Amino acid sequence: MRKFNLIKALLAVVSLSTAGTLQAADLQDADAIVERANLVSYYAGDDGRSEARMLIKDAQGREQKRQFTILRRDRSEGGEQDFLVVFSRPADVRNTVFLVSKKPGNDDDRWLYLPGLDLVKRISAGDKRTSFVGSHYFYEDVSGRGTEEDSHVLLETNATHYVIENTPVDASSVEFSKYIAWINKDTFLPEKIEYQDDNGALYRRVEVLASADVQGHITVTKSRVSDLRSGGQTTLEFRFQKYDLGMEQAVFSERSLRKPPREWLKR
Amino acid sequence: MGFKAWLVELSMQKPKQVFIGILLLVVLAAIQIPSIKVDTDPENMLPHDQADRVFHDEMKKQFSLYDMIVIGVVNTEHPEGVYNPKTLADLHQLSEAIQVMDGVIRQDLMALNTVDNISQSTEQPGTIRFEWMMKSAPETQVQAAQIKAAVERLPLLHNTLVSGDGQAAGIYVPIVAKAESYRLSNEIQQVIDQLKQNSPDSGNEFYMAGLPVAEDTFGVEMFIQMAISAPLAGLMIFVLMWVFFRSMLLITAPMLVAMGAVIITMGLLIGQGYTVHIMSSMIPIFLMPIAVVDSVHILSEFSDRYKPGEDPKQALKEVVGHLFTPMLYTSITSAVGFASLAFTPIPPVQIFGLHVAFGILLAFALTIVLVPAYIVSLSEKRLSALKDHSLETNDDGKLGRLLAGIGRFSVAKSKGLVVLFIVVSAISVYGVTTIQINDNPVRWFKEDHRLRVADKVMNTHFSGTYDAFLVLEQTQQEALKSDLKLTLEKLAPGNQQLVELWTTHQDLPLNEMLQKLAFALDDLAYDDADQEQLWLGMLDEVERAQSDSKYFLSPEGLSYLNGLEQYLNGSDLVGKSNSLVTLLKTVYRELQGGDAAQYRLPVTSDAAAQTILSFQSSHRPDDLWHMVTPDYRSTALWLQLKSGDNQDMSRVIALVDQYVQDNPLPEGVELNWAGLTYINVVWQEQMVSGMLNSLISAFFMVLLMMLILFRSIKIGLLAMLPLSVTILFIYGLIGFVGKDYDMPIAVLSALTLGLSVDFAIHFLERCRAIYRKTGSWPATVEEVYQGPARAISRNAVVVAVGFTPLLFAPLVPYITVGFFLAMIMAVSAVVTVVLLPAVINGISNKQALFSVNNDQKEKENA
Repeated sequence: MRKFNLIKALLAVVSLSTAGTLQAADLQDADAIVERANLVSYYAGDDGRSEARMLIKDAQGREQKRQFTILRRDRSEGGEQDFLVVFSRPADVRNTVFLVSKKPGNDDDRWLYLPGLDLVKRISAGDKRTSFVGSHYFYEDVSGRGTEEDSHVLLETNATHYVIENTPVDASSVEFSKYIAWINKDTFLPEKIEYQDDNGALYRRVEVLASADVQGHITVTKSRVSDLRSGGQTTLEFRFQKYDLGMEQAVFSERSLRKPPREWLKR
Repeated sequence: MGFKAWLVELSMQKPKQVFIGILLLVVLAAIQIPSIKVDTDPENMLPHDQADRVFHDEMKKQFSLYDMIVIGVVNTEHPEGVYNPKTLADLHQLSEAIQVMDGVIRQDLMALNTVDNISQSTEQPGTIRFEWMMKSAPETQVQAAQIKAAVERLPLLHNTLVSGDGQAAGIYVPIVAKAESYRLSNEIQQVIDQLKQNSPDSGNEFYMAGLPVAEDTFGVEMFIQMAISAPLAGLMIFVLMWVFFRSMLLITAPMLVAMGAVIITMGLLIGQGYTVHIMSSMIPIFLMPIAVVDSVHILSEFSDRYKPGEDPKQALKEVVGHLFTPMLYTSITSAVGFASLAFTPIPPVQIFGLHVAFGILLAFALTIVLVPAYIVSLSEKRLSALKDHSLETNDDGKLGRLLAGIGRFSVAKSKGLVVLFIVVSAISVYGVTTIQINDNPVRWFKEDHRLRVADKVMNTHFSGTYDAFLVLEQTQQEALKSDLKLTLEKLAPGNQQLVELWTTHQDLPLNEMLQKLAFALDDLAYDDADQEQLWLGMLDEVERAQSDSKYFLSPEGLSYLNGLEQYLNGSDLVGKSNSLVTLLKTVYRELQGGDAAQYRLPVTSDAAAQTILSFQSSHRPDDLWHMVTPDYRSTALWLQLKSGDNQDMSRVIALVDQYVQDNPLPEGVELNWAGLTYINVVWQEQMVSGMLNSLISAFFMVLLMMLILFRSIKIGLLAMLPLSVTILFIYGLIGFVGKDYDMPIAVLSALTLGLSVDFAIHFLERCRAIYRKTGSWPATVEEVYQGPARAISRNAVVVAVGFTPLLFAPLVPYITVGFFLAMIMAVSAVVTVVLLPAVINGISNKQALFSVNNDQKEKENA
């Protein structure tokens, strides 16, 4: 509860600083930095839509492309939110839909609709660190990792970034031993995250390749995950982003699985 | 023979220079040896550019397949087998330890703790669950039983990760290179030892199997074996010659020749950058006995002729002059036998053959220069000591009497003997037809070797540790492309943008072309709002083509694969198969609620694609790419075989051929094999046909040389008789005994020729010389059985005994070679000594056979 108040307090700061206050004093509290980065990354606006193009490239350079639209609506800032992911390409998975109800600190609810089998299926999401549709992204990368799941230490503050070390509270629930995040001091966007295994070896990297200001929110337009073990990587490009569309909660109901909400999906 | 005289003169006049020269050569060669590279990869039995090998390598890359070490954890004591907390804890710990080892492809390691369970959630009915099968080791028997239940539901894991009887669990360790497997297997063994030490009563046994370990371990043991067998062979020959000559002085010379020949040959091989393969590792053992034989001839004769006080040079000149030609010919014929191996299509065998051939000729040259130089450097006192060890005194013993008896016997019973040999040969021919062609690198170890034991145990529990991959590929793409082009053109005839779009993309591989086109059209539709509908219409067509191009998602492609897989699973030869079909059926079943009746293929391409998309939400989505390529136009069926015998693999190939004949492949689909077990069959087939070529060519080359040497067709043919009978007999025997015709046996055929013709050369040369001198056949027989027969027998014994250290080797190919070479020497010596006089006895016109005058005539006729 105390934490939540802190978020609220910080929130005020965020809304003031999103335009980019130039000479803001460096923050000292790692938790605060991480919370803010979480909000910037996953909670821009009250809702949003974005069209994603995903390019999965394996170690041999073989490519697969996927295209989907993401709709998001926050139930509470920094708290629960819903995602609807509707696939448009390749054609053989068109209208396949993922519905995720994210509950920080709890198991998400996940549904899947497969039009080819005309099947709505609930997916038990005990583990969010599984691949997102065969890419190098994990579900958690798409929907965000609960900030309370790691302990955070500010390693370094340099001219541009806060460098934060994140160690999992429950080490047995994840495949990494820790990860280091480089959070942009101005935008609070985590621009690079590097994961280390039990041996301290780097094996996974998430990077922001490009970002833009959309309706006053700093927004990632291109990012990449590299699997340093296999040599594969996935690039994700976002286009046609819009925030605060005024989507209703009903958009994220099970009904939308079989009947995707056309009005929000179209550009 | 000016050269010959010059050579002998040189070595007698300037012995010091000869020694120094040879020493320099030896040193030069010896410094190459430390850079030795051992290579035991049976894949290298095929040239790098051999079609099957190239395909195999391509498939390994295409499907991200690696060579694998397979570790078995076996528990036969616990009633639930490996499904108990202790065993699973050990397995977990071992697997975790292996994952972080250098050289392990961590993300592809397969064990209970690294794979996913796909199941129905027990808490929320109707919910599918992707979770780690065994993230941490279970603490209770109930949890262990849950893992058991989960594994048995998943066909991809059941009988692969845990055996059907539940008594064995596997860890499949993909490694970066085969050459790492010996080191890794040792590191793994250390962890295992620690586990066993920590809980000696766990009842857990650990085994390691897989072709890479077998091959790499073989390499290491071969290296050790080389260091033991070769010196041991040297020692044996040394002892044997001591028995014959009883003079250290006398036997030093042959030993020097042998060592010089071996070191220079090996130095040459290594210095040229060739790797030492299993055959090449035997070069020292082959060379040593052969190298010794010539100098034994010189020394024997020299000690006969030399009288103390005389100038040894005169005696030497006579001896060398007398022996040069037969020695040259026997060396050349032996060299030809080995060199004929160059006609096999197998690079390591070629290198072996050519280098031994070189070594034999080198040994001859060394004998001619080194032995005379050695003798003239001896002081007179030592020389006279040499005389005391006259060979004659030793030879009047049992061997001499026995040989004289054989001579009389074979002449007296000549007709019967000839008939007997014809009968034996006829039976041998039958034996040859029953030969089983088979090999298996794991069998290169003795039965009690830990790898053989592991192989046996693991293949008893599991579906098989030998891999073969059946690759189906849809090759048709031009039709799809041109159809699409037509469709697009119809939508916008003459549209310049479309023409441009098509020309920039048309030469790309189908999958890439379609993906790029789709993106380009998507962009166009957005940028060119006026014609949005047109571009979107085209995009639909491109996407349709894209779906069509994914052949192994289509019902047609999948059902063929399914039929083939089910047919193979029905055969006892195939332990188990895993494929895209297995994966699809399993995921489909779980999506549909997990009922066994739902274990079937999705009915449409879209359904298949979406089933796969669901699977890709797991921890190991990339496992899919071991079964199918991302364009879904090529798929691999992984067969687990219980036996790595080439015969069994050949049967599986025949089985598939039969299926394809009965159920023709869909249009455009090609079927090919990959996998180590298959590659072994390929090089074996190449070897069998290659060896036949090599044998035939060696036979005719030796025959040709015999004709030149003896200038007589009849004697030339006679000279070929003993070796022909010997080869027939030996291979007939192999057929009857049921010994598999494997790589070492195959290699033996050609070189038998070169070795066993030596006896006939010496025998016939002397027969002719003596007959010309005496003009009487009985007298010839009498005399031949004094000297030459004795020399032949002695040489046969030297060579045969020289190979006996091989019999004590722990590696089966060495034993095989040792045994059969000794056998060949013995048989060909006996055949020469017994059969040749009997046959000559039957030839009525011996004048014509041996006469000089007729020689001229025959030469003209020839």
